[in-house]
Amino acid sequence: METDEILDAIKALLVERLKFDPTRAAEVTLDTSLPKGIDGSLGLDSLDFIELAMGIEERCGVMIDDQEDLAPHFKSVGALVDFITSRQIGA
Amino acid sequence: MTDPSLAQSAVASLPRAEAERGAVPRWYSHAYNRAELYRLAAAMGWLPRPARLRLARAVGRVARRLFPAERAVVRSTLEVMTGATGTRLDELTVGVFRDFAMCFSDLVTTNRQPSTRLTAHVSQARGTERLEGLEGGMISLTAHVGNWEMAGRLLALRSARPTHVVVAAEEIQALERWVRRDGDGVRFVPRTMPTVSLQLVAALRRGEVVAVQGDRALGTRGDTLVPFFGRPAPFPLGPFILARALRVPLVPAFCMLGPDDRYTVTMPEPLAVAAGGEEEALRAWVALLEETVRRHPTQWFNFFDIWNPIRG
Repeated sequence: METDEILDAIKALLVERLKFDPTRAAEVTLDTSLPKGIDGSLGLDSLDFIELAMGIEERCGVMIDDQEDLAPHFKSVGALVDFITSRQIGA
Repeated sequence: MTDPSLAQSAVASLPRAEAERGAVPRWYSHAYNRAELYRLAAAMGWLPRPARLRLARAVGRVARRLFPAERAVVRSTLEVMTGATGTRLDELTVGVFRDFAMCFSDLVTTNRQPSTRLTAHVSQARGTERLEGLEGGMISLTAHVGNWEMAGRLLALRSARPTHVVVAAEEIQALERWVRRDGDGVRFVPRTMPTVSLQLVAALRRGEVVAVQGDRALGTRGDTLVPFFGRPAPFPLGPFILARALRVPLVPAFCMLGPDDRYTVTMPEPLAVAAGGEEEALRAWVALLEETVRRHPTQWFNFFDIWNPIRG
């Protein structure tokens, strides 16, 4: 998947799985932060991250089973796109 | 890969605004988490266990006088749970402080013994054979009743898998110092960042164990009201959402102190969470918890109003 495709997939997950307003999801860019507690972020909580992880596995074909700390990869949409891309290349 | 049909989850129905209200459960400021109490209990570790438990009983009798607010809450909670009044209610209230002191003393001494020696303190183990038939990841579900930490540790021992214990951030320092450190396959995971759930997802994907306590509301949108002793109380839905998403079983485990000062470990039938069935599974868990507390009311160690734990 190319970067734009992954970004679209994340936006679709936000709407379909996390029930974000489609207008808000459409405004998401690579710079958008994900976790709650960061100004301007999407405000995702721990329950959202479970759903997001499952959605990424399902839609992008990557397995979330890493030993390393995954938080940096889910800090922003751009970081998440890079993570998914690297996992697809490595697969 | 997960089934696309699972996309409609309980998470979607939880109002997002609730997560931003900033409410904090009462138990976060609980005095019993203080390192001084761990230090005091650990200092008694040199005593033979029978003598240590006798001393703990005495400390428990004193403690109820030192904590009048907690005593009042314990009394009113027991009144609801047991229907007792008068002298009987007074006895039960004393019993909570006594049993807590004993279990807490074991928590920071006996529990630190090598895993293989823990079973010497267990008189009965009911349902633990069920673990042998479980493959892959699982979620161990305990509560603040009896010696919950021993229940989780025995489960980790029997399942022979790395175990990730989810704890409040402020608890972790005392736990790592006074209860146990990483190294025996058990790792404490502080609930500090919202991304903590990613660690748990990955651990379960690797076939490991995640241990959580399912009796304390977190002040988040995951808190769900469920009848507990006939009154609605908030319980965390998160473990059930995790179990449904990863398709792993929830394994309830209780470790209760008996009159012979030994423990009985009970592992009821694991709970499977169907798509959209998170709340139903939560209700089943709360029913199990209520049944356990009904049999052991003096080993319910939540010193706050369980039916109204949130402060603004």
